[in-house]
Amino acid sequence: MEEKLELYEVEHVADLARIELTEEEKEQYAINLKKLLNEVEKISEIKNYDEELLITPVEHTVSLREDKNESGISFDKVKKNAPRTSGNFVEVPVMIHE
Amino acid sequence: MNKEYQVTAGAEVHCELKSNTKMFSDSNNHYGTFANTNINEIDFAYPGVLPTVNSYAVELALKASLAFHCKINKKMHFDRKNYFYPDLPKGYQITQARSPIGVDGYLEIEVDGITKKIGIHDIHMEEDTCKSTHYKDKSFLDFNRNGVPLIEIVSEPDIKSDKEMIAYLEKLRETLLYLNVSDCKIEEGSMRCDVNVSVSKTEILGTRTETKNVGSISSAGMVVMVEAKRQIEELERGNQIREETRRYDEKTNETVLMRVKEVGNDYRYFPEPDIPFLVLEDDYIEKVKSSLEILPDERRKLYLEKGISLVNANKLIQNKQLSDFLLGLEDIDLVIASNLLLGDISAYLNKTEKGLTSTKLTKDKFKELVSKLSSGEITNKVFKEILNDLMETDSSTLEIISSRGIQTISDTSYLTELVDKVLKENEASVLDYKAGKDRALKYLMGQIMKESKGSANPSLVNQLLVEELTKR
Amino acid sequence: MSKYLDKSIIEINELLKKKEIRPIDLVEEAFSRIEENKDLNCFITLNKENAIEEAKKLEDLEVDNLLFGIPIAVKDNISTKDLRTTCASKMLENYVPIYDATVVQKIKDKHMIIIGKTNMDEFAMGSTSRTSYFGAPKNPWNKEKITGGSSGGSAACISQRIVPLALGSDTGGSIRQPASYTGIVGMKPTYGRISRYGLVAFASSLDQIGPMTRNVYENALLLNELVGHDTHDLTSVLRDKEDFTRLLGKDIKGMKIGIPNYFLSDIVSNEIKDKINEMIALLRKKGVTVDFIDIDYIENAVTLYQIIAMGEASSNLARFDGVRFGYSIKNPESVEDLYRKTRKEGFGKEVKRRIMVGSYLLSGENAVTYYNKALQIRDDIRKSFQKAFKTYDLIIGPTTTTVAYNLAQDLDDPIQSFLDDVLVIPVNMAGLPGMNVPIGFNKENMPIGMHIIGNSFEEAKMYQLAAWIERELNLNLIPGGNACE
Repeated sequence: MEEKLELYEVEHVADLARIELTEEEKEQYAINLKKLLNEVEKISEIKNYDEELLITPVEHTVSLREDKNESGISFDKVKKNAPRTSGNFVEVPVMIHE
Repeated sequence: MNKEYQVTAGAEVHCELKSNTKMFSDSNNHYGTFANTNINEIDFAYPGVLPTVNSYAVELALKASLAFHCKINKKMHFDRKNYFYPDLPKGYQITQARSPIGVDGYLEIEVDGITKKIGIHDIHMEEDTCKSTHYKDKSFLDFNRNGVPLIEIVSEPDIKSDKEMIAYLEKLRETLLYLNVSDCKIEEGSMRCDVNVSVSKTEILGTRTETKNVGSISSAGMVVMVEAKRQIEELERGNQIREETRRYDEKTNETVLMRVKEVGNDYRYFPEPDIPFLVLEDDYIEKVKSSLEILPDERRKLYLEKGISLVNANKLIQNKQLSDFLLGLEDIDLVIASNLLLGDISAYLNKTEKGLTSTKLTKDKFKELVSKLSSGEITNKVFKEILNDLMETDSSTLEIISSRGIQTISDTSYLTELVDKVLKENEASVLDYKAGKDRALKYLMGQIMKESKGSANPSLVNQLLVEELTKR
Repeated sequence: MSKYLDKSIIEINELLKKKEIRPIDLVEEAFSRIEENKDLNCFITLNKENAIEEAKKLEDLEVDNLLFGIPIAVKDNISTKDLRTTCASKMLENYVPIYDATVVQKIKDKHMIIIGKTNMDEFAMGSTSRTSYFGAPKNPWNKEKITGGSSGGSAACISQRIVPLALGSDTGGSIRQPASYTGIVGMKPTYGRISRYGLVAFASSLDQIGPMTRNVYENALLLNELVGHDTHDLTSVLRDKEDFTRLLGKDIKGMKIGIPNYFLSDIVSNEIKDKINEMIALLRKKGVTVDFIDIDYIENAVTLYQIIAMGEASSNLARFDGVRFGYSIKNPESVEDLYRKTRKEGFGKEVKRRIMVGSYLLSGENAVTYYNKALQIRDDIRKSFQKAFKTYDLIIGPTTTTVAYNLAQDLDDPIQSFLDDVLVIPVNMAGLPGMNVPIGFNKENMPIGMHIIGNSFEEAKMYQLAAWIERELNLNLIPGGNACE
């Protein structure tokens, strides 16, 4: 039998990604993600030179921005691309109250 | 309440920083403006935008970290905390999960006369989310708040009672206000407190609950009390405490379940690749350190040393403009100075609705005033008469007195006559004085001042009075 | 019809200066070439009205630089104000940006004229341009073949001489690989050379914009105008201004070149290996030292790419949620419904797959076990390359393992997708500059390219070698023209 993830594991990932999957897709991901994991596991055997992480390939450090307002846009511009607006607000279905 | 249980609490406090612009974008950071007016491409997370880092927000976070005695991470990076919510446009919050700017700090609180350190686990920088309002089946997003710089101050679980919680939060707030780091207005959301509580009979901490967004400092104290009580009752009934998120209902004074925490939130943290390492050079840290305001604790200590009462010392600290006014004036008579500031000067400021710095009372003028009062060259009565002129003109105390013809009487022959007259009229008091009753001297002084209608030079009178009394 | 667009940029510039032609002539010719080559499917959106208007405005201006008035095509993942930017996705089918990417601003400042937005893999995720929501572009050398990707539209429109200049982006070979498949020059500069502000992020620590052109000189010319520190991009690098054409034509004798053994291992097809070996012989004859070397962990680069690029992508693409812009389902029942269905319907299969992979490899303990480890090995690869560059001026190899294959070939073949990227990804991992220069054709007359890798910020030296090869081989690189062999 082919190695695969449990269905709930796939569903957890789909939850994290907020992508609705069909049953068929879940089945495929169960197999493919497991395959990938086996592939990826190989790197844990590599003995790296040191603990240093490469987060970005640049060697300079951050230059900080002055605390000065330089930009702004009007809501009218935003409206054109926004799927749902109401007055001066972006509208969404009611959020689950915290 | 069952005495065997030990209550343990901690606080996670978010404070919005008082910067002009946002943490990772240069749009305005202004509270209370019309919805969706302080926005730009970055705040809306348009495809292709990138973050920049606000230098002043970093400075403020550093100030807070230094003030709370944290170790400073000199090389740090930001991390992405990934989760979906409509108030989070990028789908991730830029925060500092692995290398917070400050770690292992503390602040000191005093409860019932006992001083105690509350550990601060870390202080990290992050960005605020959109403000949302809800109506029927819709929610409405205002992006003005999105991206506002925040620091989150995470305490160690060192808080053992409601009083300690209140003292901790008050100290935190007082310090951040002093540093001008944050407005710390809970009602406007510029300070937000989450309170963690657990109870245990052993050394091992119990399961904790988190009560979110507590509406005031006193409520945070109540949360410690009522949540501990609830947990103890649950345990006594044989139930277990679940890791859960609760909220505090001020009306009923109880905490209410919001949601049970799932098996750890899966935020998929990873280092933010759009921001290279942030490095704080030693001389920068030193510069910020030396620019730190003198903190309330230090000021309080000084005031008490200089003889100011605890009540007045606290009053001064609560009114930062008055306390700031005394900076650099440490060598004057601080008791007189504080009485003036908290008494007639405060009354004047209240009445005229002015701030101290918008009056004409300079530090130099104030110094002169206090010294004249201290030496007795002018009386309190005279001070009251010239108060308005001091506050509203550029003239010094001496200039006002001479221009208005108010002069203390220092004519020795006149004053000797006056002393003589009063002593004759109060022979009983003279005898009392001779019998060693100090109160008699004060009484006689008062009579002489009254006779002079308050215009005699008090120190001269005192001197003459003692001389005359010794003669008799 | 005039053939101004077949002329070199220098010649065009002369004609413009002498007022023998006007920018509008170039623009009109570009659009008629687009019309003639519609079947190549190079463009997603044309900027016709605006381009004509711009060209007319330029008539009143002095021809102040070599690229003045030259038509340019821009990959459709680069933000263009008021010009639809789709990333070849249904998700952004109707998205019109309100701001220009920094590179677009620079192009406009030099008065180049944006002709349109080029086809690509959806969100640059793919190596064949077949994941485009708008259908795959076709290879001008053989319309049955892929252009490569993800910058396939840009590659095809340069190869077909529709426009002389194009912008691509390269996260794991997306400029160099299609450049190789279509016989053009494509440069992925050093990470940080060109501002990424306005490039729709796929994997932030790997993405880099770069020029795609007909020849080496024009590539260097365009790069001159694209680079520079940008306060909007904290990863952009502050450097002194330099002229990337300055070493063109200089002798390469005495140059030291390394070839990683892995680059000529059995993952590479024989016809390509042979071509590279011919080049090695040619270079040695010229007095260039060519040594075989080893770079640590390059064989792991594709795995690291799965972890790092997909991880970053899963986060970068979270903003496509149907709330502020882009595709959004009708009448969502709840926020969750809005998210899940919008992303299900708005993203194509490959994009969803990569988001799933990235989310999975960052979830729970995986972030610590694999992501951290991947960042550590990535640092080692960079260090290993840096060590090699202490001895060698440049590193070379083939850009691709095969020539462009059939459009009909299975899109989901995992071995093929591994082979598509294996030679180009290590360069992105290390943040180094890499470029493709055409070196010939196979028996079917499909282009073969050589990969030149330089040390950080040594693009000028890469151009020097590339220009020498270009001159030495003197290939006819016009599709349908006479190939050398």
